[in-house]
Amino acid sequence: MRATLLFVATLVVPTTGQENHGSMLLQNSIADTLNNTEWAFPLAECIHIGGFAVSIGSIALVDFRMLNLALRKEPTARILRYTELWTVVALVFVLFSGLMLFLSQTGIYLINPIFPIKMYVLGAALIYNFTIHRKVATIENPSPGLSKTVAIVSLLLWVAVVFGGIFTGFLE
Amino acid sequence: MSIAQSLENIGFLSDFADSVLVYPIVLSIHLTDIALFGGMILMTNLRLLGLTFNSVSITQMITTLRPWKRLGGTVQICTGLLLATSEATKYAPNPYFWTKMIILALIGVHALIFRPTVYNNTEELDKSNVIPIRVKVAAILSLVLWTAMFTMGRMIAYWED
Repeated sequence: MRATLLFVATLVVPTTGQENHGSMLLQNSIADTLNNTEWAFPLAECIHIGGFAVSIGSIALVDFRMLNLALRKEPTARILRYTELWTVVALVFVLFSGLMLFLSQTGIYLINPIFPIKMYVLGAALIYNFTIHRKVATIENPSPGLSKTVAIVSLLLWVAVVFGGIFTGFLE
Repeated sequence: MSIAQSLENIGFLSDFADSVLVYPIVLSIHLTDIALFGGMILMTNLRLLGLTFNSVSITQMITTLRPWKRLGGTVQICTGLLLATSEATKYAPNPYFWTKMIILALIGVHALIFRPTVYNNTEELDKSNVIPIRVKVAAILSLVLWTAMFTMGRMIAYWED
């Protein structure tokens, strides 16, 4: 992951070499806008927070159903069907605003000790959500043990992502 | 000494603000709580607007999520109180903080106004297929108020004396 981030950084961070003029300009203009427009950075942060509230909140509703903690009369598959679109649309907003925040201060994020861990956990949470979590939420009669385990892992992964985000901000 | 200073100087609150780890942990809990229970508020309001969960009754949506929203609200208030009082001298003059508190009060007013006809009247609402306009107004106002709430929360960090 760190290698991937460094690769992205070499594409977007201004370098002494002259190879990457286009991406360099793009990164500079995004960073300039976010850093020099008074409201741009906080706006991106608010979109990020609102987006993760909607995406993680809608996933958590499926988890709460799998744990038999709410909406027990409905099958889990139906909860998933009703929330999935909101989850995906909100995730697009979160990832896009997150990318903007990253590009505005690439250097700071790349030397941050917590940021790469957050990205690993985020990657795991995303893959998990659209594979194992989705599969178990849609099967007809999963064993209660399986459903509950899958739901708890899902909640733990997403909570870890939020903690990772806050700690990235605190340990720069 | 001002009230804000006295608050900050309460032993455990000053320890709290000085700790490198405890402050971000409490802030993380505050934010995680937004995700878990804010998501429930959103989904309830979307149901009231008829945008999703249409085959799930309003009664089930509201009654099964209510205890969780109450737990979430309690956690929000406790963590929020810790965050604000431990830095009381920074919060006291911050206009975003007071705007947030006014919005919190407005959320209370919203509950007082719409409880009898909407949130505590779900079985009546479920009898009809049409969602009355006042229900939709309640849902939209709730979404606006909660969005303003977390936006002001973020803006607190941006105000400088």
